[in-house]
Amino acid sequence: MRRLKQAWELARDFREGVEDPVEHAYKVLEAISRWEGVVNAYISLESPDLVVEEAERVARGIRAGERVGKLAGLLVSVKDNICTSFLPTTAGSRMLDPYIPPFNATVVERLLGEDAIIIGKTNLDEFAMGSTTELSAFGPTRNPWDPERVPGGSSGGSAASLAYGGSDLSLGSDTGGSARLPAAYTATVGFKPTYGLVSRYGLIPYGNSLEQISPMARSVRDVALLLDVIGGWDPLDATSLRVDKPRTFTASKADPRRVTICIVKELAEGADEVIERAYWRILKRLESEGVELREEELPIASKALPAYYTIAFAEASSNLARYDGVFYPMKGGGSSWEEDVELARMKGFGREVKKRILMGVYALSEGYRDEYYVAATKIRRVLRDEVLRITRNCIIASQASPILPPRLGERLDDPLKLYAMDVYTVIANLAGVPALVQPIEFHNGLPIGIQWMGKPLGEEELVSLGLLVEELTGLAGVVVD
Amino acid sequence: MKVTIGLEIHVQMSEAGSKLFCNCKANYRGLDVNTNVCPVCLGLPGALPVVSRRSVELALATALALKCEIPKFIVFTRKHYFYPDLPKNYQISMFERAGGVPICRNGVISFLDPSTWEWKTCRIRRINIEEDPGRTVYEEGGITGSPYALVDYNRSGVPLLEIVTEPDIRTPRDARLLVEHLLLMLEYLGVTNPRLEGVFRVDANISVNGGERVEVKNIGSTLDVEKALNYEILRQTKIREAGGLIERETRHWDAMRGVTRPLRHKEYEEEYLYFPDPDLPPIAITGEMLEKAMGMAAKADLRALLGELLKLNVPPEHAWSLLTTRPSLELFRKTVSLGGDPQLTARILAVDYKGELREQGKDPYDPSNWPPPETVLELVKLTISGVYTYDTIKGLVIPALASNPQARLETILPERASDIDVAVEEVLREEVKAVRDYLQGKTQALNYLVGRVIKKIGRKAVDPRVIREALEKRIKSAMGAGG
Ligand SMILES: [Zn+2]
Repeated sequence: MRRLKQAWELARDFREGVEDPVEHAYKVLEAISRWEGVVNAYISLESPDLVVEEAERVARGIRAGERVGKLAGLLVSVKDNICTSFLPTTAGSRMLDPYIPPFNATVVERLLGEDAIIIGKTNLDEFAMGSTTELSAFGPTRNPWDPERVPGGSSGGSAASLAYGGSDLSLGSDTGGSARLPAAYTATVGFKPTYGLVSRYGLIPYGNSLEQISPMARSVRDVALLLDVIGGWDPLDATSLRVDKPRTFTASKADPRRVTICIVKELAEGADEVIERAYWRILKRLESEGVELREEELPIASKALPAYYTIAFAEASSNLARYDGVFYPMKGGGSSWEEDVELARMKGFGREVKKRILMGVYALSEGYRDEYYVAATKIRRVLRDEVLRITRNCIIASQASPILPPRLGERLDDPLKLYAMDVYTVIANLAGVPALVQPIEFHNGLPIGIQWMGKPLGEEELVSLGLLVEELTGLAGVVVD
Repeated sequence: MKVTIGLEIHVQMSEAGSKLFCNCKANYRGLDVNTNVCPVCLGLPGALPVVSRRSVELALATALALKCEIPKFIVFTRKHYFYPDLPKNYQISMFERAGGVPICRNGVISFLDPSTWEWKTCRIRRINIEEDPGRTVYEEGGITGSPYALVDYNRSGVPLLEIVTEPDIRTPRDARLLVEHLLLMLEYLGVTNPRLEGVFRVDANISVNGGERVEVKNIGSTLDVEKALNYEILRQTKIREAGGLIERETRHWDAMRGVTRPLRHKEYEEEYLYFPDPDLPPIAITGEMLEKAMGMAAKADLRALLGELLKLNVPPEHAWSLLTTRPSLELFRKTVSLGGDPQLTARILAVDYKGELREQGKDPYDPSNWPPPETVLELVKLTISGVYTYDTIKGLVIPALASNPQARLETILPERASDIDVAVEEVLREEVKAVRDYLQGKTQALNYLVGRVIKKIGRKAVDPRVIREALEKRIKSAMGAGG
């Protein structure tokens, strides 16, 4: 394990002429060529020449005294379900290999507006449907901390690229924990914002009502920096909130005597012993610093997982209807349009995607809709009310994952166990509240994370607490050796 | 015979400016194929719909004009079916169950029967706002024979109103009158231009003598509404007379052949997987929106507009003609507000000018084919003051004006009789030799005299025949007087 300069420090040092963006770009490219063969974090990479050229442009600008953006010279990786007009966007699916969108996602425009260099598109479970990044049409991504293990998913490529130093910052997406679970498995930070704080325009949809594009980085200050750049109202997304741009980067470390943390029984229990011990260790440590710990209950949490999957699959079955072989690369080649559609969908989608579409269709069908989809939305409402009630007065401390990063293939055979990996993370998506996962410990060289959940638009509080925790753990900026 | 008819009318909001969820144009006519498109209306992954405010305003005004119950908020739903011209393979609509909330429920339409001046009513079940799909074109061999289909997405995402009536309609003619009335109302609301090609289509449910309900789809004109329903009544009556049973089915109107034809039976129940579109949060209908929509609806109250005209003693036939040709109504109002006599103005515009436009093959719905109100006012004044008879105005002025509505009136007005008389007198005095020649039988001398009179008057719009007659009459009377 070693520590890298945080991205915000690096950007500052570029601007002050202390660090050279070109030299840095070479370092990152070197890490990529060293690790990619094993890890497979990227589906497509920008050409190294272009990356260096961009870094040179930034360096020239800084030398000439020009005003440069907040992310000038930083190399940002972007999950491959976020549209870029200059690199293919596959969503990890054969269906979209190779699809080049005619537009950039709003978040990509905002990155470019702050002079970020987009270094490549990261691997994911097909259409973000998975918790391990094994279900990509482009092969699994491995965990840099132990290549026999998964990096979590579905934003596993983003997390892995950060963990080996193959990017400075990364954009993931989080439908039910897809940015936070990988963060927990790779000792990085994943920050799912309040629903509507970040525009979804250009995010290839999986579960529209649940997901947010989410900053990922190696430190709390870095995810805050990235959130401030990508957040804020977007007229192109009707679900985006009409609020001012977030200002979390300047948040100060929380004063422990003014922090209240709620321990929600249902979100604290049920994890493997090593994880529970780590969880309690950091909480006791915070308590000794003056943080108030309080107990809360969320009985409906036991219904969160089925509600989550019902809603996500229903929305997915609808969103994925458009892939019929007409506009997109995978063609059916049948003798009629109907056959074309069937063949394109048969060849283009992987097993897990097909399974989720079928279950989603089932949940929305006449005669079953009330029993499944409508029932799930009712549970969601009750759960959201409960979470809002609790987070009004405290930040919820929750496990991030019930287990350490599993070995490749280990859990894939048992879908129920696979889905259960998301048990702690889906709550924030169902309730639409912000949630941050950060590393707290290593156990036998494998990272363990913790999750903080706040009230809607309570991002700044989470960042403050995260900074406090980071100081206690000293785990900001860690990468594999 | 008891006939029960219910209609489902799809009308494009062609005047909404933009498509329902993006900035492409609502009226795509005349554009090159697949040029009125963007990531949103092509349904590209990641592109998101944002509801056009204008479409909601227009739909709300329609709902108010039809006296609907207005919900506190509206909710769009997705309706799924696979079709090549539906790029997302779902249509954004407003299913009334499964969480959807349409813009209108339980309204009523009053429509006029202009042959009896009776107002009839039909209940409106609901109104949905939804998006139109693209357009599929089959070449060589049509839908069954063509080896390929071409799809034009210019229409994809155009805002539609789906207006569903209760089965309150009793005759095919009433069905036609209702649709005509509705379209006229939508024109006054600024929702649609009913004369655009393909701007509306009607599906009709019909049941004869308590028999099963048959749905006739794809009726594209108001005349065809009546024709298709008459055809269905005849067809169903014949089957029953022959001892057959009417089955519940969906038929297709073949406008070319004037018959309805069965659609291929679907082997499965329709399953649209409705649910609220998660990309479109519920839209609250605010007091401000209602107020604006009420103002729009008031301007489209055809019954009130007709009442206004009748109050001015305009005969109902003329009043209805003005109403049904919107530019003529606007012109009527302006002319009357300038002081024009309402009845005469109505007669000029609703009967003779409109008739002349038809005669000349000009579009009476195009405002540029109508003269300015000052010109109409002048015609009214000239008629009332007796300078011209109405026959002259109708026979000479209106045709000239209809062919050039912006013409200055003095350039097309015929010479008044008194002006001609003065000129004739003068010419007869000056041209003694020519008069003598004429009296001696040199008939061409009369042509010379006509030319002199025209020159003296110095205007173009003089009918030489009139002058010739005046000259002959004057010379004869002079002879008779013993000159
Ligand atoms: Zn468009």
